[in-house]
Amino acid sequence: MAEPELLLDSNIRLWVVLPIVFITFLVGVIRHYVSILLQSDKKLTLEQVSDSQVLIRSRVLRENGKYIPKQSFLMRKFFFNNQEDGFFKKTKRKVVPPSPMTDPSMLTDMMKGNVTNVLPMILIGGWINWTFSGFVTTKVPFPLTLRFKPMLQQGIELLSLDASWVSSASWYFLNVFGLRSMYSLILGQDNGADQSRIMQEQMSGAAMAMPADTNKAFKAEWEALELTDHQWALENVEEDLMSKDLDLSGIEKDILITD
Amino acid sequence: MSSISELYDVSWEEMRDKLRKWREENFRNSEQIVDVGEELINEHASKLGDDIWIIYEQVMIAALDCSRDDLAWSCLQELKRQFPDSHRVKRLAGMRLEALERYEDANKLYDSILQDDPTNTAARKRKISILRAQGKSSEAIRELNEYLEQFVGDQEAWHELSELYINEHDYAKAAFCLEELMMTNPHNHLYCEQYAEVKYTQGGLENLELARKYFAQALKLNNRNMRALFGLYMSASHIAASPKVSAKVKKDNVKYAAWATSQISRAYQLQHLPAGVMLTSLALSISTKTPYTTAASAGVAVVIEIHGRRQT
Repeated sequence: MAEPELLLDSNIRLWVVLPIVFITFLVGVIRHYVSILLQSDKKLTLEQVSDSQVLIRSRVLRENGKYIPKQSFLMRKFFFNNQEDGFFKKTKRKVVPPSPMTDPSMLTDMMKGNVTNVLPMILIGGWINWTFSGFVTTKVPFPLTLRFKPMLQQGIELLSLDASWVSSASWYFLNVFGLRSMYSLILGQDNGADQSRIMQEQMSGAAMAMPADTNKAFKAEWEALELTDHQWALENVEEDLMSKDLDLSGIEKDILITD
Repeated sequence: MSSISELYDVSWEEMRDKLRKWREENFRNSEQIVDVGEELINEHASKLGDDIWIIYEQVMIAALDCSRDDLAWSCLQELKRQFPDSHRVKRLAGMRLEALERYEDANKLYDSILQDDPTNTAARKRKISILRAQGKSSEAIRELNEYLEQFVGDQEAWHELSELYINEHDYAKAAFCLEELMMTNPHNHLYCEQYAEVKYTQGGLENLELARKYFAQALKLNNRNMRALFGLYMSASHIAASPKVSAKVKKDNVKYAAWATSQISRAYQLQHLPAGVMLTSLALSISTKTPYTTAASAGVAVVIEIHGRRQT
């Protein structure tokens, strides 16, 4: 038996739901611009640039090697993968994992990240909880168990109220995550207001060390290149070409004058 | 002197869009850029907003091409005032010094940029072009090789290096550079054609076979590449005429050459150039019958010469 639906005052919609949406959105936009202002310049070293280009070249060799003659392909493969002095075997980059304690720039970056993202979220969440407390804001469309009650119904002291009815603080949190796609639409990809992405980065970033990647990347490229074979794409190009007449439409008179 | 907008009846927005198109497609029509850009800067500076800075850069480089030092200097001043510490503006200042042939000062400027930012490719490339402008091609080649060791992905640089090697007649190394370009741009028929021409120039049976294959590839990528078509004909007939080939190879190559001939005649016919058709077919039929490939090249050259005179 369905329990009687609560009818909420429409003022709640006007003065609570919509303002919270606006507040969240505007705070997000402000966060984005603040993060741009506080961004520190990332200086790339020559070695990093050079390595990334070498990796690209090796990948291109693997993918498009079939367009160059077999001899040239083998020459390049030898250069990269040779046992004694192939590039991928020979170069070992110094691996310095940037731990937050030793690397000052990483430390400041982390601090800035925390200040711009986590702090406002806590402050505004608390303020909203204090301002818009004591009433039910909205209902989530799916049923929830009773264990969610203390979490989602912060200021409401009703034991018998269905857990689907939530307070304004939970509506705020819903907004923080829901407006992510709006931010991508308005601020473009990779914007500073995208909190969940930043939180994910923080969790995985602790284990990530950029320089070590280069050695691993080299090893991976070496293996991939070992496996590639040369299938010359030009084996039967004349037959393919001469199977039909050339499509000469659009050729202009000047082109016939070659120089 | 009437302005561009009066002459061609275009508005300033159209001029600005034209400049953008030239900028994005890397056109080097410097005189036009100077004319259009100068008018935009003098008459419509306020309406352009932030676009004006990139237009200053574009017009400055075009002005250096046309020896308009006054215009180049004024553009540079504006840019310096707006972006006092920019490496990009410093590079433009260096280019102006190069245009005035003050190579020492230009080199010092580029060195200062590189000290500040060792990954700056623009400054390095300008230094290499200084060497080239001074005619020191072997040093330019050496510097360019070092540059490419660091920045393997720079296609412009590979192309420049291939040109330098061709000038030094070091065709094997030029072929290497062109192979790099072909790998990164497999659908560009011009690189295939250039590679084929280098292989053809190197000579020798294998290289001729490679040349023929790459001419065919260039044609496959772009059916209208006449130069590749003529190249295909030349390489096929060269191989067919060589005494060292087996009968089967000879037969195949004669077939390829005949096909190329028919396509060339078709191309001329489509353009309703009957004299051209007659001469072409005459020249090519003569050359396929004689074992002397010089006759083939002579025949083709005659056709091209006659066409050239007709058109001018």
